[in-house]
Amino acid sequence: MEKPIEGEKKVFMTGNEVVAWAALAAGAEIMYGYPITPQNEIMHYWTRLAPKYGRMFLQTEDELSAGFTTIGGVMGGRRAFTATAGPGNVLMQEPMAMAEMMRLPVVVIIMQRGGPSTGTVIYSQQEVTLTTLGGNGEGFRIVYSTASNQELFDYVIKAFNTAWKYRFPTFVLGDGYQAKMREPLVIYDPEVRGISPVPAEPFLGKPGVPGVDRPPGHYRNTYNTEEELYEVIMGLARAYEAIIPEVVEFEEEAVEGAQLLVMSHGVVSRAAKSAVRALRRDGYPVGYFRPITLRPLPVEVMRRRAKEVRQILVAESAYGQFARLVKEALYGLQVEIVPLFRPGLGINPEDIYSRVQELIKGGEKGAGHIAATHA
Amino acid sequence: MEAYVGEYGSGKSENAINRALMLVREGRRVTLVDLDVVEPFWTLRPLKQELESYGLEVLAWERAAVEGFGEVGTLLNPAARWALKREGDVIIDVGYGAGGARMLNLLEGFDTDPDLKVLAVINAAKPMTSTVEEIVEHVRSLGRVDGLINNTHLGSETDVETVQRGARLVAEAARILGIPVVATSALEEIARLIGPRDCMGHPVRPLKRFMPRGFW
Repeated sequence: MEKPIEGEKKVFMTGNEVVAWAALAAGAEIMYGYPITPQNEIMHYWTRLAPKYGRMFLQTEDELSAGFTTIGGVMGGRRAFTATAGPGNVLMQEPMAMAEMMRLPVVVIIMQRGGPSTGTVIYSQQEVTLTTLGGNGEGFRIVYSTASNQELFDYVIKAFNTAWKYRFPTFVLGDGYQAKMREPLVIYDPEVRGISPVPAEPFLGKPGVPGVDRPPGHYRNTYNTEEELYEVIMGLARAYEAIIPEVVEFEEEAVEGAQLLVMSHGVVSRAAKSAVRALRRDGYPVGYFRPITLRPLPVEVMRRRAKEVRQILVAESAYGQFARLVKEALYGLQVEIVPLFRPGLGINPEDIYSRVQELIKGGEKGAGHIAATHA
Repeated sequence: MEAYVGEYGSGKSENAINRALMLVREGRRVTLVDLDVVEPFWTLRPLKQELESYGLEVLAWERAAVEGFGEVGTLLNPAARWALKREGDVIIDVGYGAGGARMLNLLEGFDTDPDLKVLAVINAAKPMTSTVEEIVEHVRSLGRVDGLINNTHLGSETDVETVQRGARLVAEAARILGIPVVATSALEEIARLIGPRDCMGHPVRPLKRFMPRGFW
């Protein structure tokens, strides 16, 4: 079979197209899906590309079904994925809770839109709570929050390997802006970057007699007693906690000597980064921190950074969903957390720049202190 | 009258806007039509007022007119349906890729108007249209196409060779398809470096970027 991408190639694409190409490059065998804006073109491009490379697609009747069929594909040993947004993500939570319970390596791409409910079809960061902690479970999942088309490509490829290596449902959390954004990126055959696919294997229908030739595969989402469930959940918790150090990812800049840290994730972190660079140029002691994994969060480094600053400005296109995760991670520390919440609206570098300027100028001994720092 | 069609994100809107403004600068009366029936409220909406201030007439939805529409499904602006009957030049930005191109027949006069040219905008840096065969296949999927525009670029990372490489591929595809290459378009600074004609002799249209302030 012809490889979808030979070597490396500089291209110009929308985020949704990038996801379809990345899934091909990652060796995804089948996508299950139901259309919803702003992720539709992932399906459109996948259905155009898949037949050329011997891959498959099933359009289901809704997102519940898309989630459960993705589970079916995975249990059959296929690298399977789905993509959704907004109300579709809500419906997806029931199958994803099942995947969490059974530790199934499903991969889900989320392109956040405005909420609650049908909201807008355009953009927000309001699916953070849902994607990290949705369902009637404990949030034993891995969530990568991307910020560019290059990262969409890199992390969709990575998501398949993370899912199959650690056997937890894995999400790539984009948003409507990234979905529709056009920008240059390098697409590549993962092999040329030394990335080999973690092999998929069937959960069901393995050779041999269960209990005789091999341990029986007990893939259950229903338990009879509280104690039984407790054992299972505690086992999941231990397994999840054990992988945290290997899985967490973050990006930081200008944290040295910073008195205020701008924390953001996803596409907003692009604005945060350029605001922090401009603020630093203008002499403000401001740092930039961005968790790439929202679940699990890089708690250890976040706490370390938080201890070094007086204030943290949390910028997000939601009304505190990311901030809630940050507060939990920083519980017990003395740092002040200041919100910049714009639910369903984009955040520009200027928004962050001026807010930080106000905070620093408004702070006790603010300007003098800063001048001293930079003398 | 020109309708700009092409792959999703190939630069249709940017080319349509720039072409319309080029004609306005020549003192012509120009109407720019946003014919995106799938995502009808986004493409030119944030730019409408700015473009009108340059003397263009813009047929696109305004925010107040679509308040409460939500996800309305496909929707044709009634004024757009009759756009080909308007006085002066008409430039149509046909949104949403190959699916969008099939909507062109909703315009009154699409089959009969002798002045209408359907132009496919090609960015050969998009992986779906990166070889001659892919471009030919793509253009054939669009239905009626009367000419091609080479709009090969890598956004902010475009260089002259990127554009010239596109010119060669698009020229070869056009030869196979039996239609002309109408122009090569490139950002002003790149266009200046290329000169008035590209390596294949196509006229070069300098582009000023508007879409970063547009939607989708």
